[in-house]
Amino acid sequence: MEEITLKINDRQVKGKEGDTVLAVCRANDIYVPTLCHLEGLSDVGACRMCMVEVEGERKPVPACTYPVRNGLVVKTHTEALEKHRRLILELIFTERNHFCMFCEQSGDCELQELAYRYQMDNIRYPYTNPRLPVDSLNDYLVIDHNRCVLCGRCVRACSEVVGIHTLDFGKRGWKTTISADLEQPLGESSCISCGACAQACPTGAIFSKLSLYKGKTSECQQVATVCPLCSVGCELNVLVKDGNLVRIEAPSLEGPRAPLCDRGRFGLLYDERPRITSPLVRDKRGELKERSIGEAIDLATMKLRELKGSIAGIISTRYSNETLSLFHKFMHDVMGSDNIDTLDGKKYRIITEGIRCFRDDGAGLDIECSIEGVLQADCIVVAGADPQRTHPVVGCLIRRAVSQEGAKLIVINSARDVFPLWSNLWLRPEVGSEQILFEGLTKILMDKGLTRRENTPAELAAVLSDCALDEVDRITGVEIRDLEAAVNMYGEAKRGIIIYGDELLDRNAPALVNSLLRLASLTGNQIDEKLGVISLKPYTNSRGGWELGIAAGEIQADNVRGAYLVLDDEQLDEKLVEQLKSLDFIVVQASYQSSATSVADIVLPSPIWSERQGGEYVSLDGRTGKSQQLLQPRKGMLQFEEVLARLTKNLGH
Amino acid sequence: MAKVKIATVWLDCCSGCHMSFLDIDEAIIGVAEQLEFTRCPITDIKEFSPVDVGIVEGAVSTTNDEEVLRKLRTNCKILMAWGDCACFGGICTMRNLFDTEDVLKRYYLETESTKGDIIPASEEIPRLLEKVLPINQVVKVDCYVPGCPPSSKAILYAVSELLQGRIPVLPGDMMRFD
Repeated sequence: MEEITLKINDRQVKGKEGDTVLAVCRANDIYVPTLCHLEGLSDVGACRMCMVEVEGERKPVPACTYPVRNGLVVKTHTEALEKHRRLILELIFTERNHFCMFCEQSGDCELQELAYRYQMDNIRYPYTNPRLPVDSLNDYLVIDHNRCVLCGRCVRACSEVVGIHTLDFGKRGWKTTISADLEQPLGESSCISCGACAQACPTGAIFSKLSLYKGKTSECQQVATVCPLCSVGCELNVLVKDGNLVRIEAPSLEGPRAPLCDRGRFGLLYDERPRITSPLVRDKRGELKERSIGEAIDLATMKLRELKGSIAGIISTRYSNETLSLFHKFMHDVMGSDNIDTLDGKKYRIITEGIRCFRDDGAGLDIECSIEGVLQADCIVVAGADPQRTHPVVGCLIRRAVSQEGAKLIVINSARDVFPLWSNLWLRPEVGSEQILFEGLTKILMDKGLTRRENTPAELAAVLSDCALDEVDRITGVEIRDLEAAVNMYGEAKRGIIIYGDELLDRNAPALVNSLLRLASLTGNQIDEKLGVISLKPYTNSRGGWELGIAAGEIQADNVRGAYLVLDDEQLDEKLVEQLKSLDFIVVQASYQSSATSVADIVLPSPIWSERQGGEYVSLDGRTGKSQQLLQPRKGMLQFEEVLARLTKNLGH
Repeated sequence: MAKVKIATVWLDCCSGCHMSFLDIDEAIIGVAEQLEFTRCPITDIKEFSPVDVGIVEGAVSTTNDEEVLRKLRTNCKILMAWGDCACFGGICTMRNLFDTEDVLKRYYLETESTKGDIIPASEEIPRLLEKVLPINQVVKVDCYVPGCPPSSKAILYAVSELLQGRIPVLPGDMMRFD
């Protein structure tokens, strides 16, 4: 890009073609006040605080939207501009209720900060005193229109970052207010409560109920950690004060990983589920009774000693690589057992077996593209997954690709269209017929000559033998016309992407994964030199656990007399619970009650995500994030590492 | 040197800004030696006499507030707005969202703890103005010390400036609106 030289406040500075005056100022440490500008959002020049004088322009221009060019002469702080800015501030203050003493955001407010900076000790204009509603029907968010300055940052965050566009301006002129959908209360609108608007809001107009009066930003310690929920592994900026979580934010609203979901931003702050706080031991009458941690560990030691070599271990991938490795090592070295799996290991084996059949070069999960790839895609196929529910940030990126980049969206789902407002096409195959559907799509793709690489004879044979085209619509229940429409969209795309998840993996069929991968590869579509395919893994460290080799094989049931389970809050499937019931001894380490704790002989409490020792987590697309311990575990509760260390010592290692 | 004569008034306010004079701690001893309070809520003098500095806490909410403020203005050389209510209207402006009649009705008739059934009215009781106003919308104001209440730093700065014969202009880092 062309370098541009310009002069700001008599100083020679450089910028790039396409930069705004504001961007060049910021890059050169030249302060320009702003209110409606926020990194990560587009600029609209709404607030007029960043007005600068440009030589040759008749009037001041907004720095945030004025593109730089060679030889530009800019002044940012003339007397006239400073007077103008103070006047704007005064007018903003007269427009609505901007009295700080009864505003929760006082001390965390950009409008207030600007007023201090401009020494606004009085206002020369009469107030308008409008009486505007306060919308508090949403579970987490409040919109107080009285505090709003109409900068539009929430509107832009809602559409540009989150891709949902619930918020916009309603009414006109003097009466303009922020509106959710068509003037609905936020709680009854299409809002997904992700809270990006609250993070974007410069004043106290949109704020979170959960963080009210818990502490100002300046009083909090800010800790970067990894979200403990789904496998997107979002980075969180957690504000902590006096042993309490005050607020959770995205590190910034910039970039593809800027959005957070409601569960990550709010749900983690508001968890009322009963925790396991004390060790429990099943007594002679079969009831779980509280015991001290020392007693529980001693009892566990006794039992485990008898079970060496005949015990199975299952661990949740909500735990870090370090914890997973430690457990693996304990089971192998101390318990003499390699009978170990992760709770989601079955999914891993289906995916990797599917990949291995498709491409046996050991690349494994690395063949998949990153979730950033979604934003580059021009056609997205969501197959057997509901990203908006299970991986909401992937859902955000899909909506963004569709609404901002014009990507086509095809939903393949037996039950419902998971993107009802966004999809171009919904294919509804009969349950279990998905593989035939993919074969059919592949066949049509070949017939139409839309493949972009040579098909191997084996592939042709596989597709053609399995699939007579006229059979496809009968078996899948999807009309040929729809299949062809799908192929036209997907086959003609240059950067198509297939996102698949739980519902396909539940079919328990590596061949299904294989057929999906083959379809993707035949189009020649690549994103960042990877295959345009993403599998949605269940937990925050699923991939980390899988790649440590813990999930390499199924648990072998014969010769197993006991089990050691390390869980967070997961419920086990009924089959597994039945299998567990037949064992002599089960120790469960968990944070919350579940079907596993109800069949355990000994339950050891495990700290929850915020109290655990920090460690590494690998996201669904292979990015490693580091978590940090935010709070001390509850009194008397031991870290997982400490429990294992005591058991190891007791068991004579 | 003659002491600087000061008169203070409280209008529609909570009196917190007057209390906050004490926040300057021991510095108050030095300040007190140079000041003389004439009319103020503590001396309880009701009459106005000419002073150097008039200090106003509170917003203008009733006909009485308006009259007191105007009298102070005519009797002082420098008028200082003291606290957010005087500077901006502050918390008192909450009632600007309602009609005065609704406010009175709510207060005297409807509140859960109210027993009476009349809104008191007589010529001696000041009437509510339609809107609560910051004092600069009624009289000319020479300087402002915002804050709810102003910080002790700001108080000491403002008083010291006045004592040295300057009109205080509060720097941004001493300013606060809460």
